[in-house]
Amino acid sequence: MLFPGNLSLDQAPPISVPFRFLLSAPLFGVLAGLLLTLQGPALLTGRWSPGVLAFTHLITLGLVTQAMCGALLQMLPVLAGTRVFGAVTVGRTTHLLLSGGTLALAIGFLADGGSWSLAAAVLLGGAFLVFVGALGWGLSRADNPNPTVAAMRLAVTALAVTAILGIGLALFWGGVPGLLFMRSLTDVHLAWGLLGWVGLLVLGVAYQALPMFQLTPEYPLRLRRHLTAALFALLLLWSVLHWLAAAERIPPAWPVSAAATAGAALLLFAAFTVRLQKRRRRPLPDAGLAWWRLGLAGLGTAVTLWLAGRAWPGFAAHPAYPLWLGGSYLLGFAVPILNGMMIKIVPFLAWFHLQNRQLALGRADVAVPNLRELLPERTTRWQLRIYVAGLGLLALAPLWPALASRPAGLALAASWGLLGFGLGQAARRYRSVNRALLLAPAGEGPGA
Amino acid sequence: MDLSELMPPEPLERILGELPGVRPGDFLHVRLHREPLLAYPLLEQAGFRWHTDTGGTHGIEVYIWRDGDRLAEDAMPAGRT
Repeated sequence: MLFPGNLSLDQAPPISVPFRFLLSAPLFGVLAGLLLTLQGPALLTGRWSPGVLAFTHLITLGLVTQAMCGALLQMLPVLAGTRVFGAVTVGRTTHLLLSGGTLALAIGFLADGGSWSLAAAVLLGGAFLVFVGALGWGLSRADNPNPTVAAMRLAVTALAVTAILGIGLALFWGGVPGLLFMRSLTDVHLAWGLLGWVGLLVLGVAYQALPMFQLTPEYPLRLRRHLTAALFALLLLWSVLHWLAAAERIPPAWPVSAAATAGAALLLFAAFTVRLQKRRRRPLPDAGLAWWRLGLAGLGTAVTLWLAGRAWPGFAAHPAYPLWLGGSYLLGFAVPILNGMMIKIVPFLAWFHLQNRQLALGRADVAVPNLRELLPERTTRWQLRIYVAGLGLLALAPLWPALASRPAGLALAASWGLLGFGLGQAARRYRSVNRALLLAPAGEGPGA
Repeated sequence: MDLSELMPPEPLERILGELPGVRPGDFLHVRLHREPLLAYPLLEQAGFRWHTDTGGTHGIEVYIWRDGDRLAEDAMPAGRT
């Protein structure tokens, strides 16, 4: 059986809970794209430039985490057979604090403002305390922990580690004394966020989503059971070895070996996924599949770049290298996978809730739009094309910043703007059909 | 209906589209790639009952009939109600 629990509509949160997150996520992407357009070459001066830090966090927190929080609140009852206690309050509070905290953090980086960083630390701390607490409680009650639930638990743990380190760093940026040591933990914060929170959740959801939505065969049971746990263990091992190597108590090659093994595990996942997609039951083109393919190519590129950087230190020392490496993982892998998920989940939820209401009210006279009417394929096709163009320009931008950086920012902003427009249209259509369903049928009004 | 090669939620759309045509004494027999757990609450809302056969060699088979339709239940293969 696919779902461990008995699926019930009563268990699913109201549609406003996931929509709140999924509809705001593209707006943060637009902000990031506009920031790159405005700052242009100045943004790409290096990994530590305030512009890069603001851009990166608008994407990681504003777009990726926002979408992942919304999806998790929605998927928990379906994939884990459990639910989040007080999902509406948890959703509203997390969304408000996460959105405010992300903006405050970006402003803090750009304006070098201590008080903005402190505000970000408080807001984001609150957001993750509420979200991790609520999700942790829900996940602990999942009585049939399948590999996806196990991956979700590890991913939420990784989110907690990332958040604690990130809040420490924001407090350091905000001028709180005694936190200079936090700077040495920046790479650990980054690894737990990108590999732990994002990577583990993508793997766990893929185990369910690919066979279900792309009609692929199942991932091998051994891979499903052990890969996410192995990645989490490697992340933990790498963190300890990284700390010991930084203190010069062990050779630097040790943490590199742990990270290389994690890279190999990610490549294994990508290779299996491509193989399964080749064997899908219905080999027709699909926008969700295209985003997944882009994401897997991005993952392969990121791991290859990281390995190449270790093999040729001269290459890793190139100023463009950290931008390529981070860009290929974040914008080449994480964002495309999340984008592919968002274009499926928003129209599906709208359709499903409308269909349910239509049947409950017996309103066959009100037509429920299908998925393609809610989110037209031409919108998702154009969004993908513009995104790929933006990604290509961004790859060239570290080499030719004056030429490529502003067009890259513009293309990314346009792509996310189109995503926001498409998802917003679906939500508007949902509201208008829902209103029509709730209105009294013609001839049965109060005066009839 | 063989819906086993359709991507979600097309099988669900097709099943719901066929429901008005299910007459008393009839049942709808569909073959699917996965158990249609999302369909169950909607079938209940629409006033239908179902039996799901997960052990077949041709994937998942679902039999759907109008709630209270004894004729349809009697017409179904043995052990399906």
